[in-house]
Amino acid sequence: MSELGTKKSGGLSRRDFLKLMGAAGTGLAFAPFVPFGNYMPNPNQASLEKVPVILPDGTQANINTYPINHAEVITYPATGDAALDAEAFRKWQFIRLPDELGGGKKDTSSIRAYSMICLHLWCLWKYWPDDGRKRGECPCHGSMYDPVTGTAFVGPASVQAAPSNTLPELSLEIDSDGFVFILPPKFNANDNGVIGYGRFT
Amino acid sequence: MAVSLERRTGAVGFFYWLWDGVDRTIFTAIKFSFPARFVSPFGFLGMLTFTVFIILGVSGALLMFYYQPMLDRAWDSVQFINDEVPFGFHIRNIHYHGSNAMVLLAVLHMYYQYFSGRYKIRNEVLWMTGVILGVVTILEAFTGYDVIFSERAELAISIAASLTTSIPVVGPTIRDAALGSGFSDFVLRFYAQHVFLLPIVMLGLMAVHFPRFLVFDVPMVMAIGGAILITGGVFPIDMGFKFEPTVPPGVTVPEWYLTGIYAFMRTQYDKFVTGLLWPLLFIISLVLIPFIDRYKKFSWRDRPIITAFGITSLAQIMVTTYWGFYISPDVSVPLVERLVIDPIFFYSTMILMVPLGFGFTYMMIKLANEAERKSKLAKSTGPKKVATINLSEKWINWLLVALLAFQVFLNIAAYNAALIGMKNISLFFIGIVLLVFAAFFHIYRYAISQEKNAPPPAPIPVQEEKPKLAEPDVSVEQSKLSKGDSLSEGKSEPKELAPEVPVPKTQADLGVGANNNLDLGSGDLPKP
Repeated sequence: MSELGTKKSGGLSRRDFLKLMGAAGTGLAFAPFVPFGNYMPNPNQASLEKVPVILPDGTQANINTYPINHAEVITYPATGDAALDAEAFRKWQFIRLPDELGGGKKDTSSIRAYSMICLHLWCLWKYWPDDGRKRGECPCHGSMYDPVTGTAFVGPASVQAAPSNTLPELSLEIDSDGFVFILPPKFNANDNGVIGYGRFT
Repeated sequence: MAVSLERRTGAVGFFYWLWDGVDRTIFTAIKFSFPARFVSPFGFLGMLTFTVFIILGVSGALLMFYYQPMLDRAWDSVQFINDEVPFGFHIRNIHYHGSNAMVLLAVLHMYYQYFSGRYKIRNEVLWMTGVILGVVTILEAFTGYDVIFSERAELAISIAASLTTSIPVVGPTIRDAALGSGFSDFVLRFYAQHVFLLPIVMLGLMAVHFPRFLVFDVPMVMAIGGAILITGGVFPIDMGFKFEPTVPPGVTVPEWYLTGIYAFMRTQYDKFVTGLLWPLLFIISLVLIPFIDRYKKFSWRDRPIITAFGITSLAQIMVTTYWGFYISPDVSVPLVERLVIDPIFFYSTMILMVPLGFGFTYMMIKLANEAERKSKLAKSTGPKKVATINLSEKWINWLLVALLAFQVFLNIAAYNAALIGMKNISLFFIGIVLLVFAAFFHIYRYAISQEKNAPPPAPIPVQEEKPKLAEPDVSVEQSKLSKGDSLSEGKSEPKELAPEVPVPKTQADLGVGANNNLDLGSGDLPKP
């Protein structure tokens, strides 16, 4: 653009110069409103902290009492606001694996917490402990999830490219008394995954 | 890039194609004019009011993204907007001060039309819809400051609902039907009326109220916008206290456009008469003014009685507005005595305004006639000299460049203030940006019209002079467009500021930095 003024034709006409100035002035006058776009995404309302796994009955999950081959819905991050806590994006399937998949152990390898949002079209899947199923199934289009890895193996979610074939997961910790805790997650595809989008295994 | 901007290719051509397509729409039926010189804003106060209405529509729509019209959540959601959401403070202040500006502009617009007699010659429908539009505007503003459901909003809703109930015979039915049966309904329905019903009514009235000739004066619109933002920066609107049914609220007064009515109600006379009948009487007499005013002339000087009525009403509005605000600060006096206005004192003051208003009008007309007589005498002796500012082309160019540089500085200052959390300072600076743009645009259009109207110079001498004349132009655009690394010597001012031009870079930075959205986490998607 710098050759603009050095053209042999005598440079910009005054009229064009004024027009360019007008365009620049208009741009500068409205530039301060561009960052107003940051108003649109809802800022975080809950901080991600290490919290106990609270089961629907209000008690903290304990590895010594939580039944094998069993799943419950837990809320994370809980805000204390009933309306916000009711949303599906905060719901996780807290699964104790069946015996044959290593659910009998008393360490974190026997439990999983996966986002309940199916990676296909965001219906809510759940874990079915019945014999012959023992997998996560989505009621909408039949995607099925492996409870050990969280990866879809049947249905539309399974044919999506990584990371969109593996469910986001919460990292868990068990203390010496057997109580289960959720470790602060990192919601990006390389760590705990992005809810509704997926996770790299 | 082409040397000339005259060629219409690519995107420019497309926009011209779109612009030409407007020929086929209703818009060409409206005579829109963009004045090329300064014109008195009194002539287009209505257009300014409408512009503020648009600003309110946009900022209000943004507020709707977060506001929750529920009894126990309304105040908290507004607090969330004000304190947590990026630029929520800005949007809320623009919306609040915009509402005040709209009411003020509407009132000024009405009084200007009143004193200049514009409601005559078949403009009666325009006048009457205008008065109703003004009333709906105040209702709209009223419902707006109630939906926050602070202590003051709760009291205001109570007064509105009880006034509605006080209408003889049909009052309770109207209240039940329009406002609902309790505060949960009130908040939700005030919200529905604020964001949908009343704006729709306003748009419908506007369709009738719009005259065929409209003036859109860019500098004045920008100045009004800047004034709204600056007011927000200097007097940011507070949150009030959240209404708690168990905590008795403190003493509050309504917004300034309602303190007049509030003063009447504080005289302790029947609430229906003071709160509804008196304002209604005022509105009806305004609506009927075109049929009462039988003067054949337009100027306020030639319509003494009507002008005197206008002056009296203005004086009464000012006095009652102030009186409504005034509550004795002496807390040792019992509350009733502080709040109740002595009706005899109050009404005698109101009546006193009438002869004063008439006397003032008589004096003004005398003075104006005398001034006119003198100016006619002076005119016969010779034309009056008017002081003008004459700037050469070169200095206009430099002035524009200087204002642009100032804009860059203000942009950076505003953005920096927003980054470090000084929200009201940033709002203030953005207001200054708009004001500077108003000045900039005024000079720009002056230069353009000067360029257009310049007598065609003899071609050959201009060619010879070109290097001398064009030099400032060349160095100016070089230093501007090539971001300061050009060959141009001297002219240190734009050269220094030009490297600061890349404002968008910092904006992009914020976009990244502020995004750690927990729920959607979409900001992390490109990572793999």
